[in-house]
Amino acid sequence: MLEQLVDGIFWDIALVVFFAGIAWRIVDVIRRPGRNDLAESRNSGISGAIMANIRGFFPRREISPRIRIHVIAGYMFHLGLFILLILAAPHVKFIEEHITGFGWTAMPYGVFVITAMISFAGLILLWIHRLLNPVSQLISRRGDHVATTLVFFVMLTGCMALAESSTGLRLFHRFTVELLMIYFPFSALMHAIMFVPSRAYTGSLFGRRGVKL
Amino acid sequence: MASETNTKSARMRKTVYFSILSLLIVLALPLIPYAFDALAVDVKQNKEDKLVALQSPAINLWNDVRQRNGKIEGTSQVKSVDSGILINKTGEDWRRFRLEILVPYGAYLMAGILGAIILFYLVRGKTLISGGRSGERIPRFTLNQRTAHWFTAGVFWLLAITGLILLYGKFVLIPLLGAEGFSITAAACKEMHNLFGPLFLLAVLAMLILLVKDNFFKLVDLKWFAKGGGMFGGHVSAGRFNAGEKTWFWMVMIFGIALGISGLILEFAILGQGREVMALSHMFHGISALILISVSFGHIYLGTVGVEGTLESMTTGSVDAAWAKEHHDLWYKEMTEDSETIVSADKNTQSGIAQSGIASPDTGG
Repeated sequence: MLEQLVDGIFWDIALVVFFAGIAWRIVDVIRRPGRNDLAESRNSGISGAIMANIRGFFPRREISPRIRIHVIAGYMFHLGLFILLILAAPHVKFIEEHITGFGWTAMPYGVFVITAMISFAGLILLWIHRLLNPVSQLISRRGDHVATTLVFFVMLTGCMALAESSTGLRLFHRFTVELLMIYFPFSALMHAIMFVPSRAYTGSLFGRRGVKL
Repeated sequence: MASETNTKSARMRKTVYFSILSLLIVLALPLIPYAFDALAVDVKQNKEDKLVALQSPAINLWNDVRQRNGKIEGTSQVKSVDSGILINKTGEDWRRFRLEILVPYGAYLMAGILGAIILFYLVRGKTLISGGRSGERIPRFTLNQRTAHWFTAGVFWLLAITGLILLYGKFVLIPLLGAEGFSITAAACKEMHNLFGPLFLLAVLAMLILLVKDNFFKLVDLKWFAKGGGMFGGHVSAGRFNAGEKTWFWMVMIFGIALGISGLILEFAILGQGREVMALSHMFHGISALILISVSFGHIYLGTVGVEGTLESMTTGSVDAAWAKEHHDLWYKEMTEDSETIVSADKNTQSGIAQSGIASPDTGG
């Protein structure tokens, strides 16, 4: 019964909400009226967009010693999670069977475990830092904590189901994934998709500003 | 003034509710997969399937083999550690140690310390700051130190809960969930335990690096011990950390590192270690874990409900000056030599923001 629900209707609902929600958010951003830039552009803004995207991966030199934990833990978590998502053996199998019809070589079990450890360490560090740092406390909203909690539970249930020893563990993991998929478009988790266009927008804006010397 | 007090108590209530809820979720987490599995399978069918106990015809043979003296080692085509040993006699010693010593005495230790703490609280009550709060704050822990502490604490409790389920689940959870139900919970706990275990070792090492400086014992600590840490009245002098805190720190280091190393030996059974090494590691692992868990009850009690004003040192990073003067007078003197160290309570948030590395609008920087 529960298996049919989690693997069936819940999954379908989560997929629809996930993709429709993302599309709605993107359309909403595109349709927002921007201010007309009446000044003569310094250049096309494309190079500014590209440079802003690249520069965004590196902390500004002036503040880098102060945000070291953010940067290191951030990379640990995000890269770790991305690798787990794409290269974990159960995920590759799932993608092959349910989405693409083809698979690729999954990472070995040992590498998986180490990647998961790194990713967990990053997430927990970021979470604690968010709770303790006075600035993070001020700019964090309830949604940020909900998102972190959900991601943590998705990873934790995934780790519980690692041995693929029972249906219950697999269903528990899949259920938390479905919850995350439903929450994703309506939360700050959208940064996973929007970080590229938002950096590009800001970069191109500043790229066009100023005068040619 | 009244509204400010209301806001504070509402915030405190919210924090308490959130903490209780988080604790319940963490405690219930390993059991949730059981519920999922119980709902996923056909329960009716399971009830109809009755287990039939069959005695192996070879049971006497193996018993006889096990009774022989000396190390029984033959040869095998399989070339790996202990592959020539048919029955390892020390395995029985380990099994008996686990069942007859580790499990019962571990439970007595935990229950004993917990009981003593409850009794102490009922008799003594919360230790308040005599004379009340001063309103001035003294920085006690940096953001990195607090992050390392909470990281260690979080990982420790996740490991403690999963480890206790693995050790005591057979006695506590099988009667509740059934053997199959417990096997699911145990599988989930084992995976979590293995994954977070190495992180605990790294966390302990991080704590060592960040906090070792002020944790070396000094002469004043002997006096602290002699006076029982002031638990039964009288003032005891202490530096930044008192002798009790230093003892706890070194216990975490010694037992934590023992836990981490023995855990790695158990987890990565591919490094050439034999069964005897594994059994020994398991013994060290179990003893270290139960000691740390038991003593941590005292640490948590003193850090939260036991002593007024202690918890905020790990949440905000600063303590009230009156608290510092009362519990760590030598450190208080050291800190107040520089008058800029003390900040008034209302400026504390600003100073925290400045410490965090991003200038507040007021400072203009």
